[in-house]
Amino acid sequence: MKNVFGTVFFLLLLFVPALPIYSQDKYQVDLSEIEKEVQQVASKPYHLGGFFEFQPTLLGIDQDSAFSRLKFYRKRPGSPFDQYNFRLRLEGSYTKDIFSAFFRSDTYVRNEFEGWQEGTKLFEGYVSLKPSPSFSLDAGKKTMKWGKGYAWSPVAFVDQPKNPEDPEEALEGFTVLNANYIRSFSGPLKTLGLTAAAIPVYEHVNAKFGELNHTNFASKLYLLLYDTDIDFMVFTGSSRTTRYGFDFSKNLTPTLEIHGEWALINNQKMMTINSQGMGTMHQSDAISYLLGLRYLTEKETTYILEYYRNGTGFSREQFKDFVTFVDNSYKQFLNTGNDSGLVRGSRLADGGYGKPNPMRDYLYFRASQKEPFDILYFTPALTSIINLHDGSLVVIPELTYSPMTNLELRFRTPVLMGRKGTEYGEKQNDYRVEFRLRYYFGLESILRSIF
Amino acid sequence: MKIALFALSVILFFATPALSLDGGAILKQVDKNLQPESFESYRKLINIEPNGAKREFLLYTLKKGNDKIVSLFLSPASEKGRATLRLGDNMWLYIPNVGKPVRITSLQSVVGGVFNNADIMRLDYNVEYDVQNIADEKSEYVLDLKAKTGTVAYDKLKMWVDKKTVVPTKIECYAATGLLIKTLYFKERKPFDEGVLRPSVIETDSPLYKGYQSLLVYAGVKRRTVPNEDFTLEFLPRVETLR
Repeated sequence: MKNVFGTVFFLLLLFVPALPIYSQDKYQVDLSEIEKEVQQVASKPYHLGGFFEFQPTLLGIDQDSAFSRLKFYRKRPGSPFDQYNFRLRLEGSYTKDIFSAFFRSDTYVRNEFEGWQEGTKLFEGYVSLKPSPSFSLDAGKKTMKWGKGYAWSPVAFVDQPKNPEDPEEALEGFTVLNANYIRSFSGPLKTLGLTAAAIPVYEHVNAKFGELNHTNFASKLYLLLYDTDIDFMVFTGSSRTTRYGFDFSKNLTPTLEIHGEWALINNQKMMTINSQGMGTMHQSDAISYLLGLRYLTEKETTYILEYYRNGTGFSREQFKDFVTFVDNSYKQFLNTGNDSGLVRGSRLADGGYGKPNPMRDYLYFRASQKEPFDILYFTPALTSIINLHDGSLVVIPELTYSPMTNLELRFRTPVLMGRKGTEYGEKQNDYRVEFRLRYYFGLESILRSIF
Repeated sequence: MKIALFALSVILFFATPALSLDGGAILKQVDKNLQPESFESYRKLINIEPNGAKREFLLYTLKKGNDKIVSLFLSPASEKGRATLRLGDNMWLYIPNVGKPVRITSLQSVVGGVFNNADIMRLDYNVEYDVQNIADEKSEYVLDLKAKTGTVAYDKLKMWVDKKTVVPTKIECYAATGLLIKTLYFKERKPFDEGVLRPSVIETDSPLYKGYQSLLVYAGVKRRTVPNEDFTLEFLPRVETLR
């Protein structure tokens, strides 16, 4: 443990930037050098690069919470325990005339008390044809990223759900055939875009999307109308129920942006259990929506505020029943060694109760200050997600600093707060201490020597 | 009363030569001499810290007409693929990792340092500003510019224009409160598109960032016109394919 804290302390020192030392030397521009560099990149049709990441994390386990019991009932780690995460993200592209190709892969290795784990995923991999300025066609694995919400996106019908604690992270896409049509106009309607996508769901393609052996269809109409981004979207098919959506985004003033999303999900099925474990299947239409603001002050503090109504979420009583069931199952396991209740609880957690935000009403708040105290590339931030039904919350203080080109450091300590039976009170951890080091690289020089 | 009228006549008499200059025409000529109406360019943004440490960013930029401009970061690796689009008063930032464009404001800075989005994604000055006053000073005109709308990043500009070349040598940028936000210096004229001499270096400093300095170096400006559809939100993730 001392080693862990020692490592974290050492890494924290990297955050202390050099104090400004005033230099009298005037920087001289070498135009010929810059022109040489431009010539090198100007004619290059390919790109290969990515980042390497190291993230040691200290997890303070809440030993009495439902989700720590489900995860660790057989082999319980000490608390806090340390975890070491390594990640390699690679991405590349190639463009020739009307053809282009893109891929993004993700490889991780993790070491924690249970030993080593690793995995590799192709996040995105697709080819594109652009026969005219207005029309393009994509085929392959791709993220669509629909929606204007920052932490949540209820209209992202063909995307993996975002992690609201880290919403800017890349996600794995789905395999799609996607056609885009764009037109520009002068007048109040400046842009019109139409996207149509086919999403096949079979045993080896998009198997986790929904019911197998169907091809689904999704479409989006985008308008830039009266300086407002507006999208209308629809999804239909047999793998998931039909759903309709709408979103918008607009700058009310040069420093204030407003955005919103609205989604109607037809015949949404939801499985709940009572405190004895008796399951009930509910089916009804559900409406989810989101309203958000982004505000930039004169001193370059950015505030983001979002309210999210999750129409497919559990009520407070439904969530409490799940917690009671897990607690009873845990007692049964301790008394008899019978873990059938906990196995069932784990399956339910994977299905819905264990989602990042499984309940109905949430508030997201983030304040970040760009480069305070004249420290370039340094951004402190404070984020909080509040469950408005049960009052539980997570608070995430965060420091991000880039001490040199291509190196990014992030230190943050999410602290989860909530009583017994509340969402954040029943999560696996009480707190986490995370340090993330990311080094970005480009491999063009290697490619140049090959081609 | 007579004395006051006499004094006013004298003031008007001396002020007349300056007012007779067509500030709008000078500003339009300044825009023409700074950059073509539609072009592509490669630019290097250099941030220099008080201790001499510097960081460089290479951008590819396309501008069309009065209201369309898009910029793409080519290096360093950490910024590669970031793209910014401006359509009139609308501005968006696309970050490849995030995967979708988000609305931003012109006062934000994409990469840190003294330059902000308004400087990097600048439209022609005559599109955003009216000439309020013009003074004739030896070898320069001094133009006082006022933003046409409240959506423009700087409320007022004070622009020193070289009479011979009709190119600005210095611009002071002020907030509505009168606060000096930054000063831009235009330097090193060199031949770009079809041999036209344009400033190749824009230097800036700011009382808000004491000791810090940022430079924008133009390494290539070529006249190029691309379809309007290349300046759309839907096309932003594909800007790289235009190079």
